[in-house]
Amino acid sequence: MNVRAMAAAVLVAALAVVAVGVGGASGGSSANTLTVWLQVDAQSGWSEVVAAANAQFKAQNPGWDVDVQYQTWGTHLAKFDATLAGGNAPDVIEMGNTEMTKYSAAGAFQDLTAISFPNKSTWLQGLAASGRYGGKIYGVPYYAGSRVVTYRTDLFRQAGGKIPQSQAEFIALAKRIGAKNKAKTFSPVYIAGTDWYVAMSFVYDYGGQIAITRKGKWVGTLDKPAALAGLAAYKRFFEASSRAPAGSNEGTPPPYDVMAHGNAASTYGAGWFTCCVGDYKSKVAQFVMPSHTKGQPIPGFLGGSDLAVPVGGSKDKAAAWISAFTDNASMTALRAKGNIPNTTSLLGTSVNERAARKSWFVPQSKNWVNVENGNVLRTMLQRILSGRSSIKDAASVASDNITYTLNQ
Amino acid sequence: MTVAAEAIAHRSRRRPRLKRIAHASVPYLLILPVIVVITAILGYPLYKLVTLSFQQYGLAELIQKKGVWIGFDNFSSVLHDEVFWRVLLRTVIFTAANVGLTIGLGTLIAFLLVRVSTWVRILLTAGLVLVWSMPAVVAVQVWVWMTNFENGILNYVLTELHVGDYTGHDWYGSTFSKLGMVTLLIVWGAIPFVAITVYAGLAQVPRELVEAAEIDGAGPGRVFRDVTFPVLKPIFLILTSLSIIWDFGVFTQPYLLIGSSAVDTSNYLMGVYVFIEGYSHSDFGRGAAISLLMLLIVAVLSIFYVRRMVKMGEAQ
Amino acid sequence: MSAVSEVAAGAPPVARATPRAASIRRARRRRLRRAVWNVVGLGVFLVLVFPVFWMISTAFKPDTEIHSSSPTWFSIHPTLQHFRDAMARPYFWEVVKNSLIVVGAVVALSMVVAFLAAVALAKYRFTGNKLFVVLVIGILMLPQAGLVIPLYVVLAKYHLTNHLMGLVLTHLVILLPFAVWTLRGFIMGIPKELEEAAMVDGSSRLGAFTRILLPLVAPGLVATSVFVFITSWNEYIFANVILTDQANQTLTVWLSYFYGTSRATDWGGLMAASTLTAIPVVIFFLLVQRKIAFGLTAGAVKA
Repeated sequence: MNVRAMAAAVLVAALAVVAVGVGGASGGSSANTLTVWLQVDAQSGWSEVVAAANAQFKAQNPGWDVDVQYQTWGTHLAKFDATLAGGNAPDVIEMGNTEMTKYSAAGAFQDLTAISFPNKSTWLQGLAASGRYGGKIYGVPYYAGSRVVTYRTDLFRQAGGKIPQSQAEFIALAKRIGAKNKAKTFSPVYIAGTDWYVAMSFVYDYGGQIAITRKGKWVGTLDKPAALAGLAAYKRFFEASSRAPAGSNEGTPPPYDVMAHGNAASTYGAGWFTCCVGDYKSKVAQFVMPSHTKGQPIPGFLGGSDLAVPVGGSKDKAAAWISAFTDNASMTALRAKGNIPNTTSLLGTSVNERAARKSWFVPQSKNWVNVENGNVLRTMLQRILSGRSSIKDAASVASDNITYTLNQ
Repeated sequence: MTVAAEAIAHRSRRRPRLKRIAHASVPYLLILPVIVVITAILGYPLYKLVTLSFQQYGLAELIQKKGVWIGFDNFSSVLHDEVFWRVLLRTVIFTAANVGLTIGLGTLIAFLLVRVSTWVRILLTAGLVLVWSMPAVVAVQVWVWMTNFENGILNYVLTELHVGDYTGHDWYGSTFSKLGMVTLLIVWGAIPFVAITVYAGLAQVPRELVEAAEIDGAGPGRVFRDVTFPVLKPIFLILTSLSIIWDFGVFTQPYLLIGSSAVDTSNYLMGVYVFIEGYSHSDFGRGAAISLLMLLIVAVLSIFYVRRMVKMGEAQ
Repeated sequence: MSAVSEVAAGAPPVARATPRAASIRRARRRRLRRAVWNVVGLGVFLVLVFPVFWMISTAFKPDTEIHSSSPTWFSIHPTLQHFRDAMARPYFWEVVKNSLIVVGAVVALSMVVAFLAAVALAKYRFTGNKLFVVLVIGILMLPQAGLVIPLYVVLAKYHLTNHLMGLVLTHLVILLPFAVWTLRGFIMGIPKELEEAAMVDGSSRLGAFTRILLPLVAPGLVATSVFVFITSWNEYIFANVILTDQANQTLTVWLSYFYGTSRATDWGGLMAASTLTAIPVVIFFLLVQRKIAFGLTAGAVKA
């Protein structure tokens, strides 16, 4: 076969293929399209809420269309950075509440202070704080999730049954459960060693904090007595109830999987864990994690998302869409799916919501994300739980690291 | 110049000038498409990479599209960071281990492919392609699952085979163990390419030359040395140089297998280090500086093989 | 069976008259050796393929078996539900089409363009030959993390973001240096004698090169094209950043939605989806794999 003809044919075929591709995939969007970036949780969990908001927006703004592009948690910030550099950022973006401050401080978002959003006066404090920076509002609270104890009713009943009202009671219960289930991989309360969301809850429970501002500068405070007491309490609790390795994290394996395998009697994690405990689905219930003070709940970490408007987007239209997406109807629907709504006016008494009433949040510094990405807290916890360092030493190192990083 | 080439050269000298120019321009025309594509797409990014490395360029600067010139500050800050040097040493050792294992095991499998029956060869080749076709991100997910301490199949198999009691064993407990797992994953994923390429190279060894050597009385060892290896040499040089380049800068496998929650200064490899220090922290100027340093280092590491490859071209 | 393996097995090239018993013994030894190698080959196969087997086996297991505490090798009650769920996910068929278009274009374009450049580099003496080779290697050595954002900015200027063409060009840029470098090596590996023996009087140099070299380099071309296919098919970082609309994405990005949610990962679905993703690669390889082993000997024997 004539080689040159073959090469030419291949080239032509390739160009034809590309032409089809070019024609087929639409790259551009019309001038009156609102681009919205939501996380994929909305697509799989409450797509009808999104659809309702879109319909409402389109009815109120004739000539406008909405293009919702779903993103994943691992990569959406890198993609956001690229669009900021390229000048085609979306009009609305969903940000994790711990991610907001860094971008607000860098000037990535437009000022929304003047706009009256639904339920603005009753926004959930823990969530609204993350959307504020320098006295201005850059993010509208979207929804939240708190942490609760998910437990096996049969195993708890076997060991005495009473819901613990304090950490001391919980430790005693865990020991009793452990005595009745001696398998090497079984944890009465499965907690991953480096789950800093849990560990810091203990720290805040004793009045400690991760960092405070003094004269405009950040100071890490994990080496102060209150925080050290909290860390010691965490170590006591972990050693009594969890067989997870010191260096394990709460993602791998997921705690609900551990319960599904029959390797845990309970775990302290997100409220939606009950979906995925396998055969034990009918045998689990939840309660609020207690404080070391009897009868009080432990301060829980309030995870959640905010909605922001990046620079370069159409502020008024974006705000209109956000209002449609966070109004009472939407919030009621979100609450029905097991989420915590953004307004106290709709807050109910489910275990998830009760746990959210007392919460703590990370230091609101633009450099906090760097502390998280450097795994400073996780390294500290691994050192403490494996016995490689004393609590005081590990906390000192972490505290110095935090002071340095937050003041960059 | 060889006889045939000389004959052609003679003929071209007798041809008119225009034809000679046309002939001389042939190689340039051949490389033109590559140059056009690469310059159009990569030209600006390369320029940006160099200029960013001399600037203070964080998230705020990215949004305002304007950086602050700070000369060599990024480079000196990186070179004075002891973490950088520790990570460099760790990565060099890691690269040496990975490249050695990949090329060694891959070549052995290629020779194995030659020696087995046809049906085994087809099975093994299909297996290699299946391994090769797994996207890295998926392979990591499967490995994380197979090696997790709680119910991973690896612990189960080792315990069942009475190698020891591996119930609940944490394969990611120590830095050596973490990097060992990463090495296993990377070598596993890289073997198919090496095995299939070396096997393709073996197929290029012309039968008559082998037979001619045989008739001259050469045993298998000498046949390999005199006939097979010269054909394979450029292929080995390519594979080694590519492996060094890839393994030095690898990011996906260590970052995902060790986990974004567990990577820290005690187990950074260069690819992860540049991602965290530069892009995760949104310090793009620093990231660019580290990228250029990595380019320099990997060039030095692979210079031996690269020079050989370039020189081989000159002998033609 | 190729020439090398015949030599390795110790077959004598010239027939000789030998006592029957000795030749039978030799044949039996050969078969034994072959059997041993076969066992080794099967062992290597099992160890190598285990993770892939685990992925495929999981794809057929119902959720209860996947999350049970005792792992099972094969599913007791195999199900196709995960495959059905994966294919029912939003945009599955669009995404398959997109991946095929991108990879098809990248393989075709890169092989043609890279082969021509590799011929120039390997066979022609011209000023800038060495410089170009060094440039090609230099690009190979660049860490990709640093290029993502500037590349996105360039594509945005050309209005090629969220567009398959943008991804095709990006993949070309990443893969051309590799393809040129590798093909150059393969071309240089062709023994000179074969080339010269086939040089025909009166034909242009380029024509002779392509007509003679192409069949000789076919195995190398195929191996390189398989690599380009797989790399482009599995590429994630650039595809993820450049393609923001789910309708325009490729399979690897579509896969990331299985484990990128903050809620529970659907393992069965992910494994089924991953298995589906691997199928076109295997098909492509099966179509071209003959060329690797048998491509050359035809060309060589004719000479």
